[in-house]
Amino acid sequence: MVAAILGTRIRQRRREVGVTQAELARQLGISASYLNLIEWNKRKISSPLLSKVTEALGLAPDDLGSASEQRLHESLTEIAHLPPLSALGAEDQRVSELIGRFPGWAKAIAALARSERDAVARAQTLSDRLSNDPFLGETVHRMLTRIASIRSASEILTEFSEVPEERRKRFNRIIHDETRVLSDVGEALVTYLDKAEDADRIVTPVDEVEAVFDMHENHFPEIDEAAGSLAHMLTDPRPISRRDKALALTEERLGPVIADFIGRQGRISTAAARDRARRALIDYAAGAIRMPLQAFILRSRELRYDIEALADAFSAEVEAVCRRLTALPSADDLPRFGYFRANAAGTIMQMHGLQGLITPRYAAACPLWVLYRAQQSPETFIRQRALFPTGARFVFVARARLNGPSGFGKPRHYVTDMIAMTEPDAQHTVYAPEDSAVVEEVGPSCRLCPRLACHHRVEDPITDY
Amino acid sequence: MAKRVLLAEDEPNIVESLTFLLERAGFKVEVQSDGRQVVSSAKADAPDVLILDVMLPGLDGYEILRQLRADERSESLPVLMLTAKGQREDRETALEHGADLFMTKPFANSEIVAAVKELASKGME
Repeated sequence: MVAAILGTRIRQRRREVGVTQAELARQLGISASYLNLIEWNKRKISSPLLSKVTEALGLAPDDLGSASEQRLHESLTEIAHLPPLSALGAEDQRVSELIGRFPGWAKAIAALARSERDAVARAQTLSDRLSNDPFLGETVHRMLTRIASIRSASEILTEFSEVPEERRKRFNRIIHDETRVLSDVGEALVTYLDKAEDADRIVTPVDEVEAVFDMHENHFPEIDEAAGSLAHMLTDPRPISRRDKALALTEERLGPVIADFIGRQGRISTAAARDRARRALIDYAAGAIRMPLQAFILRSRELRYDIEALADAFSAEVEAVCRRLTALPSADDLPRFGYFRANAAGTIMQMHGLQGLITPRYAAACPLWVLYRAQQSPETFIRQRALFPTGARFVFVARARLNGPSGFGKPRHYVTDMIAMTEPDAQHTVYAPEDSAVVEEVGPSCRLCPRLACHHRVEDPITDY
Repeated sequence: MAKRVLLAEDEPNIVESLTFLLERAGFKVEVQSDGRQVVSSAKADAPDVLILDVMLPGLDGYEILRQLRADERSESLPVLMLTAKGQREDRETALEHGADLFMTKPFANSEIVAAVKELASKGME
């Protein structure tokens, strides 16, 4: 929850219900000046006090802030620093206030930025395609050649009256044949462009699905419950067979639960997004069958969240355990995990963010993250104690694994799985860094990073630090 | 004696039209559709004008042009290059490789005949 948004919300709500600051402060047992500091986002609010506030103002705890708001906050902060907008002087220090006071406008700005980003990405894809696509190049060539034949033959027929009958027939034949070929080529081109358009639309469904996962903090109790009841049906101890069986069980038994859930999500509007959400939830459910929630929580605590030990205990792959860790419910005594998967090109292919960890949505992350370094020593778990410019400390644990088939003399392609946790949360895990462990200075991305002297900088920061 | 045009083109329908047009304009037309053959024919018995398509099976038009320009028998052979792409880079590449003229498909009959006449008279000088 964003402390900065909280204050604004509390102030707003207090005014709505018509309570004075002094009155509310009395009810809470704090001074009015302290409440004033909280309301103006100058002081953080403790959990017990927050409970009192929500009670006094007749609110549910979630009404004052949520993961999606956190995400909105991060997005707006990043938007304020986007190169084309930075000169406008968007007040990035007052993002919380904007979200608190004008939540609709705040969402609208984020939505606009997202659609602008999608449009640019689509334009780039199309532009790449136009200049490099072999099919288009070949098709244009074929069309121009056909047109050249038709034009030349028809000009001959119209311009020269003395063309012998035999040749006249041949030129007519050429026009006839080439016109038919041309129309086939045209049709193939239309089909191709239609498909290309469909492929480009995927950009947006990703966001639709992400929004739903965010809203539910990547935890879906009804799917966990349904999946848990199927866990006893996995009898084969071998990991691959368990995975396949879990997927088959999900498809067979949990289809309706998943479809019903997706049906209730207003944010998922397109067929492509529904399909994507379905695949993501099938994956989630299969994970839940193999690692039923209660058993997973118990074992995780026992094994101090050791990914490899958990993979062993549940006969599951490391990446499945990583994703399952991100699905732990939000509770005071459970650490929260984020998950990132990147390929060798540095593209983040999958991500479940973590509150407070600013992950750029519009640019590449900081190259100093162990997420990228892990590919230098594949199959090894590497821990990184990461210090962000804000002073926030996270522990990253990454491992690169072979992806896809390989063999002697053949190329090996790796993808990296990485989990992220706050340093306090890491204390509950085997990944807790000793006090002497090196702290590495990293950033969110160059654009948002004030470390001017960093040797790895590829872009200037947007604000003057 | 009639001027000879070597037409290096692999599209039979374009060959048909161009042959008709050029013969009608008084040229003797020989056709070659394989890239490698174009180089040997042009070197062995140089035509007055070569019409060279960029995309030919065997050897592409630029490579043909490079080989012709590297041989003293064909270094000054007048060449009209044809392409169906017609982008600026193609035109520049063609001229860099030593083409005398460059024309894009689809072309107007009168333009291509005029271009060949121009190149043929240039060869005479």
